[in-house]
Amino acid sequence: MISAASSSNGRLIQLYGPLWDKLQHQWRAWTANVILALPLVLGSLVMFIPLLWAVSFSFGQPHEFFKLPPPVIPSAIRLDNYQGVFERVDFLRFFLNSVFVTGCVTVAQLITCSMGGYAFARLRFPGKRVIFILFLASMMVPQHVTLIPVFIIIRGMGLYNNLGALIVPYAASVFGTFLLKQFFETIPDDLEDAAKIDGAGFLQIYWRVMLPLAGPPLATLAILTFNSSWNNFFWPLIFINSAEKMTLPLGMIYLRGQDGVTNTGVLMAAIVLNLIPVLIFFMIFQRRLVEGVTLSGLKGT
Amino acid sequence: MVFFLIPTISGLGMSLFDWDFFSDPEYVGLDNFIELSQDKLFLTTLKNTALFALFATSGNVGLGMFIAIGINSIKWRWLKAFLRTAYFIPFVISTVVVALMFGFLLQESTGVVNYYLSRMGIDRIPWLSSSAWAFRSVVLIDVWKHVGFFTLIFLAGLQAIPGELYEAALVDGAGRRIRLTRITIPLLTPSLFFSLVIALIGAFQVFESMFVLTNGGPGDATRTVVMLLYREAFGSFNMGYAASMAVVLFFIILMLTVTQVRLGDRWVFYR
Repeated sequence: MISAASSSNGRLIQLYGPLWDKLQHQWRAWTANVILALPLVLGSLVMFIPLLWAVSFSFGQPHEFFKLPPPVIPSAIRLDNYQGVFERVDFLRFFLNSVFVTGCVTVAQLITCSMGGYAFARLRFPGKRVIFILFLASMMVPQHVTLIPVFIIIRGMGLYNNLGALIVPYAASVFGTFLLKQFFETIPDDLEDAAKIDGAGFLQIYWRVMLPLAGPPLATLAILTFNSSWNNFFWPLIFINSAEKMTLPLGMIYLRGQDGVTNTGVLMAAIVLNLIPVLIFFMIFQRRLVEGVTLSGLKGT
Repeated sequence: MVFFLIPTISGLGMSLFDWDFFSDPEYVGLDNFIELSQDKLFLTTLKNTALFALFATSGNVGLGMFIAIGINSIKWRWLKAFLRTAYFIPFVISTVVVALMFGFLLQESTGVVNYYLSRMGIDRIPWLSSSAWAFRSVVLIDVWKHVGFFTLIFLAGLQAIPGELYEAALVDGAGRRIRLTRITIPLLTPSLFFSLVIALIGAFQVFESMFVLTNGGPGDATRTVVMLLYREAFGSFNMGYAASMAVVLFFIILMLTVTQVRLGDRWVFYR
């Protein structure tokens, strides 16, 4: 009996042993994952919670800001603060200004950088190397060195306190030109030769052959440009001084100056209104944005 | 060209003049630089900027690398994607908005952060009202905003490491730690190098978060070179003097970058 039992036990182990091992292995991998992930997940909460607080406070009442403990969820969803934003400043105008400036800068950069990149990649012209090196060197110069001379040029062009002042200096970028040049150099010459045989001119090749191929790097450039132009604060601060010409970041400071700390709720509502388009933009273009950062990162290494 | 080359040259040239924007510029040679070297306020802002660059860079790059290695070793794809997104979100928000938001959350007596700290038995922290803490807060906020960017760069670097290396190491019986110190970290050095260069260049030009959050105060504890430059140029119209500050800043950045590139040859592992 005993020997029969033990042998059937052995059978069981034979049958289920591998399964048991596998389960145990999976369990270990699972716990290892959880142990690794836990601090990272907690850390990511630090990234989210301030934003959630801002949202929560934007619905709150003035007296709630000084209540302790601060309510995690506001007592009632009220839109007073949001109304307050629009009463105090022309928020819609700020938004439209931002859209206009960012749109123009992005389109302009796509055109100039792709042309410049193509020229550097394909054309032969005297002094090309020198110009390109100067170009790269200017990437190292902080914008503050050029700030005052650019300020004078802009004034000379009559663009002071004009949205043009935020567009013209950003209509071309060294980074974008470099990015596109690197890309165009990977396109085989045969393609162009074929187009030339078909009688296409230089501009036609650029427009019909090269541009359609450059979709991915152009998208990357567009998104990075959009993001940095949308958040630009320093230039508007210097070149814009009337409220109807302000873009969103400067408009926020203007709004704060309207009534200071006493109206935190309104400020928080404005912050949330600022966050919404940025987060929507982020959700839509997340993959491209990540790719863009990665790409620019790998270029440097 | 008009907005890069000409301004750069004239920016360098302008630092040799004394000019208040309205009257004719007067050539003063290197006087501006001599004055700068004796200007206590400028030296303070220089110190602040350098310290900020040191702490913010090490925080951003160090933490970014740590988080990236952590995320990379998680097996679940959905969690990886979630964490990557979560850490990257602050990067797309404008600095002004971030600074305004934290200005509210970090208030000393009514701020949410201090409330929860005190619940945990930690004394209220004068986040923005004491000089030492204001400086720390600005660094912390900078890390909050930018760490996700550096995480991404390191994640890209990690993905570029061929998996066969790890398999070979496993065959040779290398443990987790050996794999980390002998494969992962050496092969990440190009990303590390790139991050350090970018982070330092950016940190030396810091302006917005201090301008909005503390306006340089309390005292001059969080005043940076660019803030002083902005005030000199567009507050007091000392254009030449401001230009010479920009030149000093430029040369510091240039020297640091060149030094980094030189030193980089020694420790960066190129395949």
